[in-house]
Amino acid sequence: MVSKEEIENVAKLMRIELDDHIVHVDRVQKMIEYFDILDKASVESEEFDVQEKSITKLREDKYIPYDEKLIEALKNYKENYVRAPKMV
Amino acid sequence: MNLGISALRYVEEVKNGSFTIEEFISKTVEQIKKHDGKLHAYLSFDDHVIEQARNLDRKIANKEKIGSCFGMPISIKDNICVKGGKTTCASKMLENFVAPYDATVVLKLKSEDVIIIGKTNLDEFAMGISTEFSAYGTSHNPWNTDYVPGGSSGGSAVSVSAFECIASLGSDTGGSVRNPASFCSVVGFKPTYGLISRYGLISYANSIEQIGPLTRTVEDTAFFLNIISGFDPNDDTTIDNKNEDYLSNIDAGVEGKKIGIIKEMVGQGTDKEVVSATNNAIKKFEELGAKIEEISLDMIDYSVASYYTITSTEAGSNLARYDNLRYGYDFPLEGYEFNSYISKARKNFGPEVTRRMILGGFVPSAGYAGKYFLKALKVKKKLTDEINEAFKKIDFLIAPTVPVLPFKIGEKIDDPVALFLLDFNTVIANLTGKPAISVPFEISNGLPIGIQLIANSMQDKPLLQAAYALQNTVKLPEVPI
Repeated sequence: MVSKEEIENVAKLMRIELDDHIVHVDRVQKMIEYFDILDKASVESEEFDVQEKSITKLREDKYIPYDEKLIEALKNYKENYVRAPKMV
Repeated sequence: MNLGISALRYVEEVKNGSFTIEEFISKTVEQIKKHDGKLHAYLSFDDHVIEQARNLDRKIANKEKIGSCFGMPISIKDNICVKGGKTTCASKMLENFVAPYDATVVLKLKSEDVIIIGKTNLDEFAMGISTEFSAYGTSHNPWNTDYVPGGSSGGSAVSVSAFECIASLGSDTGGSVRNPASFCSVVGFKPTYGLISRYGLISYANSIEQIGPLTRTVEDTAFFLNIISGFDPNDDTTIDNKNEDYLSNIDAGVEGKKIGIIKEMVGQGTDKEVVSATNNAIKKFEELGAKIEEISLDMIDYSVASYYTITSTEAGSNLARYDNLRYGYDFPLEGYEFNSYISKARKNFGPEVTRRMILGGFVPSAGYAGKYFLKALKVKKKLTDEINEAFKKIDFLIAPTVPVLPFKIGEKIDDPVALFLLDFNTVIANLTGKPAISVPFEISNGLPIGIQLIANSMQDKPLLQAAYALQNTVKLPEVPI
C-alpha cells in the first residue's frame, strides 16, 4: 500500500499545500488502493496505442490575425508585455 | 404554451406562428425565475436574450433568412467557452475568466440562431458525478430536489428536464452527459471520439472526453448532431463525417439487429429496480425484432481504475496551466518565492480537483508509472480490442446507464470508491472511443432510470435509430415541478 508520506511528497512536488489531511491524503490513499486492482489485469504482454499523426496532415502553419487585444483582459500588463509577479 | 416541447416541435410551432420567439423566451425566463433558485441549474445568464428574440421575430416578419434553430433557448455547460461571458468551470480558479472566443460548437449553434440562455453548473472542472463538487453549490434533481441530478453536466440535465431551456450541451469524459441525463430523465449522447469538435472546451482529459447534447428526445439529439458534428481545423482529433444526416431514417427500427447484454453490468452492485428496468428494455427490443445475446468483457473489472488513472494523469497536466499568470487569480505584484507562488495559486482548486491533481502527479511518476499509468493504457487497449471483437458479432451493447437510482445529496460524497464505481457502466465508451446514448426508460418511486446503448465507432446514426426505437416503446410521466 502506498504510504501517506509518499502521497505528501508527490503533493509537495506538485506544489500543492495540504492543510487538511483527512480531506486529501486519506482519500487519495483510498483511491490509489482501489487502483491496485490493475495488478490483477493480465495485460503484461499487451502493447498500448500511441496517437500518431503525420506532419503532412497537420493544418497549415499560417498566421491567423486576431482582432481583439487579449492582453487587455489581464490585470497586470504594460504595452505588449504581461507583468508577472516578482519572484524572490 | 408548453415549455416542455421538443426542439423539432418548437421549430414547427414557431414556423406555424403558434407563438413568437419572444413569447417563448420570456416564458422560459419566467420558468427559470420561478424554479432555478431551488434547482440551481445555472451559474450565469445572458441578459440580452429578449432583445435577441425580438430581433429574430423581426427577421421572420420581414421574411429574412433565419437559422434552423429559430431562436430556440438552449444552455451550455460552463466549461465550454461562449465569447464575452464568464466560463468558470464551476471553479474559484476561473471565477473571473471571460472567454475571448466561442467554442466551435457554440459558433455552429449561433450560426443556426439558437438563443443561449445561460451557462450551467457542473462538478468543478467536470470532475465528479453529482455536481456536489461545484464551487458554487449543488444542483438539485427536479424529480426530487433532495436528490442529486447526476454529473458532471448536472446543471445541463436539470435545465432541460425542468423546462428551463429546450436542449443543452455538456461534456462527457466518463459518463458526464449520460449519467445526469439518466438521473433527470432526458436523452444524453456521447458521440464517437472525434465526431464533435472540442475547440473551446476547457480541457480535462483530452484523450477521451467529448462534447455531447442533452435533449428531450432522440430526434432532437440527431437534430443537434447535424449542426455540431464534423471536421474542425481547430481540433486536430475531429473526423470528417461527410455531412452525415443523423435525422433521416431515424425510424429505421431494430428488426434483425443483434444486441449484446454486458452481463457484468446487470449483476452485483446494481440496484434491483435498475436490473428490472434493463430487463424490461431488453424485452421491448425483442418485441421489436432484435436478437439478444449475453456477452462478457474480461477487462471490464479494470475499466474504472484504468479510466481514473488516465484521466487524473491528463488532468494533472492540463490543470498545470492555472499558474496565475494567464488564468486564475490575479495576485498583487509583490515579491513571491516561486514554489509558494504556485501553491498559493493552486489553493483556488476545490478538494476533488486537488485530489485528482495529486493522483495525476502520482500515477505516472517514476517508480509507479509501470504499476499504474502504463498498465491503465494497456487495459484501455485490451478493452478496445475486446469490444471491437464483440462488435463483429453484434450491433449494439445494452446496459443500465448508471448502476444505481439517483441518490440523496450528501449520501455518497465521503466515499471516493463508491463514487468511482457509479461510472462502471459509462467509462467503457470513453476508454474505447465508442458512441453511447442514455435513453429515459422508467420512473421508479419517482426517480428516473435511463438505459444505455453503445455502438461501434462511427455507427452514431444506427445507434440513434436504435435509441429512437426504444424511446417510442415508453410513455413517461411529466417531471413533477
